[in-house]
Amino acid sequence: MKSRHHWLFLTPAMSHLSIFVILPIAFSFWISLQDWNVMKGTIQYVGFSQYQSLATNAQFWGSVVNSLLYTALSVPLGMAVSIVVALLVSQPIKGANLFRTLYFIPSVCSTVAVSMMWIYIYLPQTGMINSLTKLFGLKDIDFLNDVSWALPALAFMSVWTNLGPRMIIYVAGLLSVPPAQYEAAQLDGAGAWTRFWKVSWPALAPTNAFVLLTGTIASLQLFTPVYMMTKGGPLYSTDVVGYHIFVEAWKKFHLSTASAQSFVLLAVVALCSWMQWKLFRKQAESYE
Amino acid sequence: MKNVSIYLGLTLLAVFLAMPFVWSLFVSLHESRSAIPEFSKIVPGRPHWENYKTVVLNEQVPVLRFFINSLIVSVFVVIGQLFVCSSAAFALARLPFRGRDLVFALFLGTMMFSGTVVQVPLYLIVRQLSWLDTYFALIMPSVGSAFGVFLLRQFFLQIPREIDEAARLDGANEWTLYWKLLLPVSKPALGTLGAFAFIATWTDFFWPLIATSSLEMRTVEVGLSIFKNSYGGTNWPLQNTAAVVALIPVLVVFLCLQRFFVRGITLGSGK
Amino acid sequence: MTRRELLALAALAAVPGCLRPEQGVRTLRLANWGAAGDESEFYKQVLDIYRRFEAHHGVRLSVEGTPNTQDYVSKLLLDHVSESMPDIVTLDASSAAVFINNGILSDLSPLIRSDKFDLDHFFPNVVDIARRGHEVYALPTDFTPMVVYANARHFREAGVELPRGTWSFESFRDIAVRLTRNGRFGFEFTNWMPGWVMFLWNFGADVLSPDGQRCVGHLDSSLSIEAIQFLADLVLRDQAAPSLSQAAAAGVDYFATGRASLKVSGHWYLVGLDASKDIDMADVLAYQLPTRLHEPSTVMYESGLAIAAKSRNKDLAWEYLKYFSSHEVQSAYQRSGIAVCARRDVAKENLNFSSFYLGQQKEGVEAAKRYDAAKHQRNATFQSAIPRCRRPWGATVEGYDRIEDLCQKAMDAILKNGANVQDALRDAASNIDKELASR
Repeated sequence: MKSRHHWLFLTPAMSHLSIFVILPIAFSFWISLQDWNVMKGTIQYVGFSQYQSLATNAQFWGSVVNSLLYTALSVPLGMAVSIVVALLVSQPIKGANLFRTLYFIPSVCSTVAVSMMWIYIYLPQTGMINSLTKLFGLKDIDFLNDVSWALPALAFMSVWTNLGPRMIIYVAGLLSVPPAQYEAAQLDGAGAWTRFWKVSWPALAPTNAFVLLTGTIASLQLFTPVYMMTKGGPLYSTDVVGYHIFVEAWKKFHLSTASAQSFVLLAVVALCSWMQWKLFRKQAESYE
Repeated sequence: MKNVSIYLGLTLLAVFLAMPFVWSLFVSLHESRSAIPEFSKIVPGRPHWENYKTVVLNEQVPVLRFFINSLIVSVFVVIGQLFVCSSAAFALARLPFRGRDLVFALFLGTMMFSGTVVQVPLYLIVRQLSWLDTYFALIMPSVGSAFGVFLLRQFFLQIPREIDEAARLDGANEWTLYWKLLLPVSKPALGTLGAFAFIATWTDFFWPLIATSSLEMRTVEVGLSIFKNSYGGTNWPLQNTAAVVALIPVLVVFLCLQRFFVRGITLGSGK
Repeated sequence: MTRRELLALAALAAVPGCLRPEQGVRTLRLANWGAAGDESEFYKQVLDIYRRFEAHHGVRLSVEGTPNTQDYVSKLLLDHVSESMPDIVTLDASSAAVFINNGILSDLSPLIRSDKFDLDHFFPNVVDIARRGHEVYALPTDFTPMVVYANARHFREAGVELPRGTWSFESFRDIAVRLTRNGRFGFEFTNWMPGWVMFLWNFGADVLSPDGQRCVGHLDSSLSIEAIQFLADLVLRDQAAPSLSQAAAAGVDYFATGRASLKVSGHWYLVGLDASKDIDMADVLAYQLPTRLHEPSTVMYESGLAIAAKSRNKDLAWEYLKYFSSHEVQSAYQRSGIAVCARRDVAKENLNFSSFYLGQQKEGVEAAKRYDAAKHQRNATFQSAIPRCRRPWGATVEGYDRIEDLCQKAMDAILKNGANVQDALRDAASNIDKELASR
């Protein structure tokens, strides 16, 4: 039966989407085709020349590389840690729910507050990590001010903040495996390690795809921790593309350039998502 | 024996995750303006509870008003999202019409475009509507959510179709189907969306910062960031007090609704 | 949906509307940065000043504070783009250029003329910050020259003589090194460019060409390299100042906690020192910056009040500006000790006689004498610095904070990552020229 009233149900969401999402995006695209001098109030159509000049903007592409690096560090590490934790909390033990709840807390806290806490954790000498490593006689590291440590430090923090949701998704994935499969494997004499690789891991393929995809999208758009903790430094080592665009738009007020950069970021995100999608579909099929 | 090692691992992890919060709490009890305590001196000699008085009952900063603002905004965003997203999700999941996939793709597609850039046009739009520095500026841009539509649509798809058929035979129209049949059985999913919307709104920083300007309209996150900058550099103890104060409502909401968080995300990942 | 449910929804929807700020009373919007949060007396004084204006004119003064200065500029520019500027803008000299140069503010000179308002009340070089030819875009409220603070107790303990008159960089270094002892640092250095740009000036160098158009040939000149090398040596070679990591780890002011003996800062710093338990104000002295010029050069950081070009309440806003620069209000404002008043009469009265710092009470005649002597010494330094104060680059070069950002990054590279001074400055200068050219 054809519905006649579907538009009534869609109207609130569609009007919201049009006014507060699509209109701003369309406006951004229009701006990206102009050369808008906000201060002077002059505006001039320049076609795609903003995009053309981006092609040779080394700093912009440097920030894209930083974002890709950050993503390559934080997402796989985050997934691995989440799987291990999910395996632990999905054991049939008392209090598993309590631990799940506890582990979820960091992800519901405001990024602003969490960033301030992590600044302390990473402080040289008095910071949490350096206080502990000092006990083992390790060298003091000023994590957030060290060119080679700042980006990994941010990635490590993201493992902590995103642990909760990822863990829950993996728990769901693990629980969806029929217990009979484990029992069969156990009868074949498989140990815990083999059981995980032979039974759980293949079953987690769709979950992995989901976590990887959403994690990648979020990581490529990283902004708030950088704004709060490193401001892109030291020496641009944490100048990720989300922050780069922010500076372009809000500090330099080059709105046309920033808009063009946002659409390039969109393309990068879409490309990464598409590649992962292809890869995982293939993998998922090969297991079937 | 195996269980003992599992508990040990779980507890160690819990301690690691809780460390920053515990640290924040300790520092907030050090004397205002004092140096960052060394790790070995993290527990203050005497707890300076008066920091909490300074933050909550500040003469110049209406912290209570910040809380009321955040509460009003969060509650209305939650109500708005539940209604707006569920009705759209209902249409997308249960009503057959031409172009349905296209509409759904449109919602999903906008999720990939994010960023600080769209906030400039958004600001111009809100300004055109004369909403700057009002609750509308904080509420309206968030009453819809592509993520919410996606989440609820997945849930609605799992509810057996037979319900619809039976109801239609009884002469129920689409509104009754949505309001009387689907929504009541979707409470877990609605709870999940509501919980996420609440936390996201409560912790939002950048949009409230630019969309409001008077002190009376600031939300908790923005309002309390005032304590971060005072003359003579960062006041670590006071700043941590503000962070703890801002955190408490989020924790309360989370602990009350924790089952919705834990259940909801499972849905989103469903194929 | 039943009628009851509908009504409930409608009632809920009406709540945000009812809670909008009161309408009807004429509202004057005033933008500033910072805002409260501190226990200090300063904010109470300011609030009182606002309330009196409201009562006198029967209007509402809506004070729109942005927590930090960086966001403040962004927010105002956004207001400009969307034509929702506040009526009165508090103008920070360090970021004034973008507002003055782009017609965002009203030229006050017609109002000044028709009202016979006397600009001679103010220090002339302070008014000049917002002056463009015959046009004046802001009335200054307060300002501060940057000076070197010294903790005299540390000098006594180390047996080092206090500097007399102007000092050279060599004697500055010598003193800083000799004061560095017993876990205490001779000098506290912070990589905050507004606090170190004067070192370039006093070496005879600068960041930009006099017209503000070019950086290469200035920031990377041999004199600039010498100046930055001087600072880097103090931190890295002599270790007479805490490294940036050490400073970050402490998370606290070294000078204010008695752990450093010299520090460059402005007048506002005295308010914090006065509240510190570790500092006896009788020991806090102020000196001009070390120099190799015939007279030391310093910068003045100023704030003023301006009226938005598109304000619909210009008459009322002008009343507020006049009110704020009146002798009475300026005296009340100045008593907070936050800065030096832009009004010459008030500044002179206060710098010479009045009770700046009410906090630390001194018992006994001898202690009171020492306390007063220190105050007079500091005030004399400020007095003599005022005529030679230069306006900051941000008053004339738009987006100067971006340039500062690049310079601070270069300084970070030198101090944290051991980069060569010459290379770091050369890279920074060419990046800054790129930045300037892209405008």
